[in-house]
Amino acid sequence: MGTSVQVKPLCGVYNENPLSYLVSVDGFNFLIDCGWNDHFDTSLLQPLSRVASTVDAVLLSHPDTLHLGALPYAMKQLGLSAPVFATEPVFRLGLLTMYDQYLSRKQVSEFDLFTLDDIDSAFQNITRLTYSQNYHIPGKGEGIVIAPHAAGHLLGGTVWKITKDGEDVIYAVDFNHRKERHLNGTVLLSFARPAVLITDAYNALNNQPSRRQRDQEFLDAILKTVRADGNVLLPVDTAGRVLELILILEQFWEQHQLTYPIFFLTYVASSTIDYAKSFLEWMSDSIAKSFEHTRDNAFLLKHVTLLINNSELEKVAGPKIVLASMASLEAGFSHDIFVEWAADTKNLVLFTERGQFATLARMLQSDPPPRAVKVTMSRRIPLVGEELAAYEEEQNRKREEALKATLVKEEESRASLGAELSAGDPMAVNAKITQPSSNAAGLQFGAYRDVLIDGFVPPPASAGPMFPFYENSAEWDDFGEIINLEDYTRNNEDMDHSSIPAEDDVNGKLDEGSASLILDTTPSKVVSSEQTVYVKCSLLYMDFEGRSDGRSVKSILAHVSPLKLVLVHGSAEATEHLKQHCLKNVCQHVYAPQIEESIDVTSDLCAYKVQLSEKLMSNVLFKKLGDYEIAWVDAEVGETENGTFSLLPLSTPTPPHKTVLVGDIKMADLKQYLASKGVQVEFAGGALRCGEYVTLRKVGDSIQKGGSSGVQQIILEGPLSEEYYKIRDHLYAQFYSL
Amino acid sequence: MTHATKAIYKLLLSDYVKVSKVSVEDMLFDEQDILRSMDKIEVIDFHQTLEVNGIRFWCYTAGHVLGAAMFMVDIAGVRVLYTGDYSREEDRHLRAAELPQFSPDVCIIESTYGVQLHEPRHIREKRFTDVIHSTVTQGGRVLIPAYALGRAQELLLILDEYWSSHPDLHKIPIYYASPLAKRCMAVYQTYTNAMNEKIRNQFASTDPFDFKHIFPLKSIDEFNDTGPCVVMATPGGLQSGLSRQLFDKWCSDRKNACVIPGYVVQGTLAKTIINEPKEVTLTNGLTAYLNMQVHYISFSAHADYAQTSTFLKELMPPNIILVHGEANEMGRLKQKLLSVFADGNTKIITPKNCQSVEMYFNSQKMAKTVGKLAEKMPSVGETVSGLLVRKGFTYQIMAPEDLHVFSQLSTGNIIQRITIPYSGALAVIKYRLKQIYEGVESSMDEESGVPTLLVHDRVTVKTESENHLSLHWTADPISDMVSDSIVALVLNVSREMPKLVVDSETVVNQDEDSKKAEKIVYALLVSLFGDVKYGEDGKLVINVDGNVAQLDKESGEVESENGGLKERVKMAFQRIRSAVKPIPLSGS
Repeated sequence: MGTSVQVKPLCGVYNENPLSYLVSVDGFNFLIDCGWNDHFDTSLLQPLSRVASTVDAVLLSHPDTLHLGALPYAMKQLGLSAPVFATEPVFRLGLLTMYDQYLSRKQVSEFDLFTLDDIDSAFQNITRLTYSQNYHIPGKGEGIVIAPHAAGHLLGGTVWKITKDGEDVIYAVDFNHRKERHLNGTVLLSFARPAVLITDAYNALNNQPSRRQRDQEFLDAILKTVRADGNVLLPVDTAGRVLELILILEQFWEQHQLTYPIFFLTYVASSTIDYAKSFLEWMSDSIAKSFEHTRDNAFLLKHVTLLINNSELEKVAGPKIVLASMASLEAGFSHDIFVEWAADTKNLVLFTERGQFATLARMLQSDPPPRAVKVTMSRRIPLVGEELAAYEEEQNRKREEALKATLVKEEESRASLGAELSAGDPMAVNAKITQPSSNAAGLQFGAYRDVLIDGFVPPPASAGPMFPFYENSAEWDDFGEIINLEDYTRNNEDMDHSSIPAEDDVNGKLDEGSASLILDTTPSKVVSSEQTVYVKCSLLYMDFEGRSDGRSVKSILAHVSPLKLVLVHGSAEATEHLKQHCLKNVCQHVYAPQIEESIDVTSDLCAYKVQLSEKLMSNVLFKKLGDYEIAWVDAEVGETENGTFSLLPLSTPTPPHKTVLVGDIKMADLKQYLASKGVQVEFAGGALRCGEYVTLRKVGDSIQKGGSSGVQQIILEGPLSEEYYKIRDHLYAQFYSL
Repeated sequence: MTHATKAIYKLLLSDYVKVSKVSVEDMLFDEQDILRSMDKIEVIDFHQTLEVNGIRFWCYTAGHVLGAAMFMVDIAGVRVLYTGDYSREEDRHLRAAELPQFSPDVCIIESTYGVQLHEPRHIREKRFTDVIHSTVTQGGRVLIPAYALGRAQELLLILDEYWSSHPDLHKIPIYYASPLAKRCMAVYQTYTNAMNEKIRNQFASTDPFDFKHIFPLKSIDEFNDTGPCVVMATPGGLQSGLSRQLFDKWCSDRKNACVIPGYVVQGTLAKTIINEPKEVTLTNGLTAYLNMQVHYISFSAHADYAQTSTFLKELMPPNIILVHGEANEMGRLKQKLLSVFADGNTKIITPKNCQSVEMYFNSQKMAKTVGKLAEKMPSVGETVSGLLVRKGFTYQIMAPEDLHVFSQLSTGNIIQRITIPYSGALAVIKYRLKQIYEGVESSMDEESGVPTLLVHDRVTVKTESENHLSLHWTADPISDMVSDSIVALVLNVSREMPKLVVDSETVVNQDEDSKKAEKIVYALLVSLFGDVKYGEDGKLVINVDGNVAQLDKESGEVESENGGLKERVKMAFQRIRSAVKPIPLSGS
């Protein structure tokens, strides 16, 4: 029997919520994507929390919040400790996205779901792979091979292929078949007949105008606004689609020698572009080619200014174009700028992607747009006077508590450390130990700072050391730490890729401005006020999401024609629509599971392996057909020494078999072929008329490959004539007869 | 090649075209050729698996220069690793060569350094910086002849770092004189993903290749030779160019020093001065005393014996092919490796140029039987019939109905309908058909109620209208033949319509037929063998060049002293007979 495969959505089915799915392949649990929304709604993670500890590996597909936002929280709070796999850009840009999210949130609220350290420690476990790298999973998942493939949409975006025993499970969400400025299209089309395909219905009901037309409208809208002395705000993601937008603007500005300033404003803007510059391998052929020939890095931006705080922006007078994160307008610079600019009719807010559900961006995209919206304006201001005193007192109290807690913890860990080391994942233990000593302790760690960093002085009440770390010091000898090799064997693979401790890895990655923000430990508080903003500026939505549109998705699915199809992520209507479509045109097994509904997509294929004996193979004549070679065999089953089946030549004469005609006939191609042979051909009434009397007709739709009728029927009709036999010969030439 | 290699390839070769001084006719290639070759070059990222005609290959970091790769090729499960130039030592910017996850069946490995051992890196670096430091502080000039790419970047990193930590040296300039260098920097600054973690993390804060103490130098005219300085210049062999100009200028001064940082080719000046001769010939033909100190400190990123032997011990490949190394050095390495792998069955081969090495691997071809054919596990002795589909090196056996499920191929059926003018009764046709075919069944067409005939279970004959018959069948060779015979029969019948055929006539016909057949057999044999006569008891005597064969027409037995002739006659007669004698009806 085939490999057993179960799919259980944890979030993001029948709606546009973040993506998170559990896929078990022969008992090995993959968590594919670990997304969160811009509201950081913990209720969405309920299903994940129930299964987090059973996850054996995490695969990430795109570097945005919807695909990986919950990773730090899940690692810290939900007991997720599995190794994580992603491509290099997903790793880097995902990290930057999380930094930006955190810093944006931190500005406006007492954000405490995760800290920068949590982000770092979650990302340091990521094993980075390149496209079409076959990674053999060791240990429990022996025999499973995972490989990322280009998905388009975002830089480093991944279609995951999980292979076991020759059966492919493919996870492809948010792919884009079209080639863009900075990305190649997805390679999804090169996969044929996977056992299971998991894909999204997000765009099933959307169709896009042509790229050229859309680009022109986009640039026209922007130019019209700035020429009329207005400002343009493009709410964008941190490090995803924004790269494409920047390239569009940059190229257009270059071509037309425009001088209107463009700003790219996120907390990590300069890092984002720095990394983009070094990811040319992952980008489109044209970008790679231009670099190879002229060494012009497309992301060496001449017209776009990178900003990491908006004070710079205020200094610039006159019309300007600002690309600012977050796309949802819920937080971040885009939020502030929107509030400031909304009241001016000259300004334009140009959305390039559909806002997440129930966000400000989504509200503004509704038709007709609201006249006024309520927003919460929040600012972080330093504490003064009484508040400061109260804060300090509070801090002191916390410090005391923390001390006690540390001591208690210390005792506990002393007791359990030995056991943990031998039983648990050593990486996890290490992370736990090093985490508190990590120097970039943020605001949350303010309380611990003195204890952990300055606090090498033993506190008065303590009788022992403070760091659980000391435990290890006893086990050091001249050659370093004495380690039990067995503890490490399991993780050898992972260590190869990330052997350098992540502490250097993540330090220094932030822009100075952000760094100052993190290290800024001045006691501060968040002041919020409700405000009503009258939306007078123009609002515009254009689809720059870089996802295949509904029509393309359908034809791609028909081409890939999986044996079983699982639909996720998309509004209820879109999911239902695509499901019905696929049932009719793609395959008979289409599933659209509900949240936490585990469906079994184990293929009902039967298969067994046989050895082909040399004797048999020497008599087989293959015929070549495209990538395939094909032959008819009649063989007798034998047994080899090691008990497997082998196929031997028949000892008795070969029985006759029904002739098989192999080949795929497209009527249009056939028409051309016949025309080239000097036969008069034309289509008439659904049939191909050849010459005067003979007609050719095709019955049974060949697109419906997965359907019951896989065999195409061609009917050749005509009176007895020379022409009839001539056309028959031409027709036969299209097939291989076996 | 990898992305970085492709970018550097273009730079290096374009530079070669620019600086080569030969006439246009002698030029091996020009800029246009390079551009054309660029379109042909496919890039591959480290670990990315590509497949061409079923052969899969991927590459690992080789640690020799930026973008250097070791290729693993997998042909039907047999793996071949080609290391190229590799180094297992991590340096300032490159990663060490990776140890492949799988052991290859054949390992083609470089043997440049043979059995030599490198000095530990820190000692080498200390010697390097010490020599430079002491020379410049004593007022001398240091010349480092180096290649434009590869080790130069590493040395610059070492120097820049050393200068940064020694403020007293800040007033002494370091020049890097290579027109290529600046252009290469863009490549180094972009393909950071091929470098090690350490330097990639440095990139996050400041660009490590943005040197603070090193200045580019375009030509010797710009160079202001006033005091102590360090110049790294190309070419590395001191053949010509800037490094040679400086060498000529500086070689007789005792205070100066020349540091040769890596492998140098036989026959170049750099190789000569390593042996510290008393005198050298300058470019202008004069001889001068070689007074400057010459130091050879190898930073060459090739594996030494220690690295090679550990690498091979980890991989344990059953076949090792040594390439790229001096014959003697290679021989020594082979001996030493043989003693290391004394116990196993490791074969070590050192082929000469153009000598091909052939190895045979017997890999079991495994096929997977899938779909309907595999619904039941077979038992020994049963027959399996189906399509064997091969893609690359994987085989699948399936039922024809499943072909479209497991491959992108599909099967088709051609249904043929042909109409023949015929105005007689169907019964006549039926009667005639019955004489030829065993299975002729009458039935009624379900839709129209027209009587039909099913011939040989394949072809349906149906009255279409008063004047037409139609034949229906699904195309395959046998059905086509049956239908052709029916068509012929129908046409014949309509021609001799009114004539009624009597049974006895056929008997007579048979007699005539056999006579005719005999004539034909004779005529054909004559055409084949020439001299054929009727002999006794109806046998045919065939005489070919004095060899005689006797053929019995009834049994087909041939008697002859010549074995060859006997076989030929026998074969010929069999063929003739099968052509002439009618096929026995339905094999009964």
